[in-house]
Amino acid sequence: MENKQSSSPASFIDSTIVPGDVVLDLSSMTNQTIKLGGGLRQDCDVISAMKAGTLRFSKPNKYWIESSQKRYVPCVEDTVLGIVVDSKADNFLIDIKGPTLAFLPVLAFEGGTRRNIPKFELGTLLYLRVVKANFGMNPELSCTDASGKAAEFGPLKDGYMFETSTGLSRKLLSSPTCPVLEALGKKLSFEIAVGLNGRVWVNAASPDTVVVVANAIMNSESLSTAQQIIMVEHLLKNIQ
Amino acid sequence: MEVDREDGRSQNQLRPLACSSNILHRAHGSASWSQGDTKVLAAVYGPKAGTKKNENPEKACIEVIWKPKTGQIGKLEKEYEMILKRTLQSICILTVNPNTTTSVIIQVVNDDGALLPSAINAACMALVDAGIPMRHLAVSICCCVARSGLVILDPTKLEEQNMKAFAYLVFPNSVHSVLPEGSLSVQGEPIENGIITSVTHGVMSVDDYFYCLEQGRAASTKLSDFLRRNLQQQSTDSSKAG
Repeated sequence: MENKQSSSPASFIDSTIVPGDVVLDLSSMTNQTIKLGGGLRQDCDVISAMKAGTLRFSKPNKYWIESSQKRYVPCVEDTVLGIVVDSKADNFLIDIKGPTLAFLPVLAFEGGTRRNIPKFELGTLLYLRVVKANFGMNPELSCTDASGKAAEFGPLKDGYMFETSTGLSRKLLSSPTCPVLEALGKKLSFEIAVGLNGRVWVNAASPDTVVVVANAIMNSESLSTAQQIIMVEHLLKNIQ
Repeated sequence: MEVDREDGRSQNQLRPLACSSNILHRAHGSASWSQGDTKVLAAVYGPKAGTKKNENPEKACIEVIWKPKTGQIGKLEKEYEMILKRTLQSICILTVNPNTTTSVIIQVVNDDGALLPSAINAACMALVDAGIPMRHLAVSICCCVARSGLVILDPTKLEEQNMKAFAYLVFPNSVHSVLPEGSLSVQGEPIENGIITSVTHGVMSVDDYFYCLEQGRAASTKLSDFLRRNLQQQSTDSSKAG
């Protein structure tokens, strides 16, 4: 029984999947709880793929499809960079590059009461946490962490924001530190905020540094580790 | 019966295929598809909030805009838009993002025969690039019946104009499955034997039509493999950096 179920799913794990491919057969895995992540759907007795990408598996029972897109699919506990689009009585409407606008309750700040509601201009960039992301509803965001403290969430002042794909955002947030950020960090001093929705904000003392960091990150998407380090050295040589 | 095609191809031979995706900077998904000299560019924007007026708000809505190479937009372009919209609606899973609109824009770069099938292939690749949830892919092919009764695939514009009749056929792609052969089927037949869209022009006999379907289906497996290799190549390119 164990041999049978480890041979069929293993054949697609870590390989490229095209929409429509059947990746799991549930009838051979009774008595198991499986967690499905993004890109997979259940069709009666089989699990098939909805997106193109690489099938990943994490013990004990999580399957998902890893792919990189320009748009974002909201997930709970993700940190994102949102832009204020409108403000209503109870919520701010925030654009997070998802299928719908997200709501930021007016009281979702540290020490937030009806008397000290922050005033955000349209176009303000905010670093936020996704609190609710249910099917068919607008996602809900918050400017506090789970325990109610501000913890770096909130408006980002100055600096420069640019858009990337979701795959590059995940690479920048991976640990150990992404090679391009490590190489840049050795020579330059800058502050960076990465949103899992494909937005990155950079701030530094001088505009040259901001431009070099932004260009280095944008170029690093399709390069390998060694190539990233060479590319960063090349860019740094030009400004020094 | 030997056939003398201008470019020396055999009856069932397709023109060289080329496909690249993620080529447009601002579009959320984009693809360029060329079969020989016919080249089509597809761009996908979405999903965006809100549906159009007469559309069901419990499902996602797909909007298609067809831009011809020259001239004003007329009835032919509207017909292509309708065919493309119906085809894409049947391959996308519309219940995942209710009350949203996805716009697909097709720009004809060059028309040298088999334009609508190229556009369908390009639109499908662009939707995959944008990450829109889909049931399976669509592969599209043009089969025509010559005056002599011969059936040829993937005609050029000159060949198309001299044909008695032609059919644009869209099939689902071939699926890789962990299940044993034949278990993923609908009413006893594997998914690949289905057909999504069929548009015919001209007069042909029923036998000719069924023969076109057979030839088209055989060629669609080659197209499916091409799509799969293309997608695999793109994902290895982007994961090299990891």
